[in-house]
Amino acid sequence: MTRPIRKIMVYVDGSEQSITAAQYAIVLAKALGAELYALYVVDTRALAELVKSRIFLESEQDEYRRDLDGDASRYLNHVRELARRKGVPVSTEKTSGAVHIEIKSKVAELGVDLLVLGEISQIRSRRDELYNETERAMRNAQCPVLVAKGEDKIWDLYEALE
Amino acid sequence: MALIDLIEETVVRAPLKATEKDTVIRELVDTLVQAGKIIDAETAYRSVLDREAKGSTGLEEGIAVPHGKTIAARELTIAIGVSPEGVEFGSMDGKPAKLFFLILAPPDKAGPHIEALAEIARMSRSKAFCSSLASCRSPAEVVRLLKDE
Repeated sequence: MTRPIRKIMVYVDGSEQSITAAQYAIVLAKALGAELYALYVVDTRALAELVKSRIFLESEQDEYRRDLDGDASRYLNHVRELARRKGVPVSTEKTSGAVHIEIKSKVAELGVDLLVLGEISQIRSRRDELYNETERAMRNAQCPVLVAKGEDKIWDLYEALE
Repeated sequence: MALIDLIEETVVRAPLKATEKDTVIRELVDTLVQAGKIIDAETAYRSVLDREAKGSTGLEEGIAVPHGKTIAARELTIAIGVSPEGVEFGSMDGKPAKLFFLILAPPDKAGPHIEALAEIARMSRSKAFCSSLASCRSPAEVVRLLKDE
């Protein structure tokens, strides 16, 4: 039987939950001998929405786009460092667009076997359910999805990894 | 992080005492200082005024979303203000603003900042909901309405 999980991708958005997900993905990649990918999506759709609603000026959109690019590099570097400490190779990917669509697309492009996501915020309203990007990624991804819950347990697993 | 997770009664002013644009911003910034959310009122206030100087964040239907990037905020933070009489804010439709969402974020937290603003942009499309919020007369009412939504 071929190994069921050969490629793992973790989605990183800079939240603590997504960093915990990255730690768990590193643990899994090491245990399963899987290839590991980390994805950050620059949410240009939200930026466009803010210009359309006139909350952002055009110049502000450019400024925040640069900020988001900076965030992407910083958080992907952080994941690279977390993986390096445990001797796990990781390929980082940065893309832009609507978050859940980009995740779905990258899963297909890379042939990902398992998508790892951070814990999803409590859904408090119908609006949350419609717009929470992690929730939408979980629903839309065309591969098995793992939601990394239990920060303390994951931290212990990561720390125990040799 | 969902916007609702940032909202508690201590960051809501309903009704606002201020009756002018600058003093509304100042009152909301001071609310965040009193709630222990930011450390330097003057720096935060300046960041919002600098942004407003480039173009008003007064939208339509009585909503304004003043915001700024500032080192005075360690995390994304929001204050909500309600002015029953309305305040001249240079809004797109020329109407006075009654509902204010003031958002401050540190310069290195662009992602959550944009997420919060986008959530408010979506909320502002529901005229009925915004009208209900603008008619709230206490912080408790505002919080209850947002959490029930």
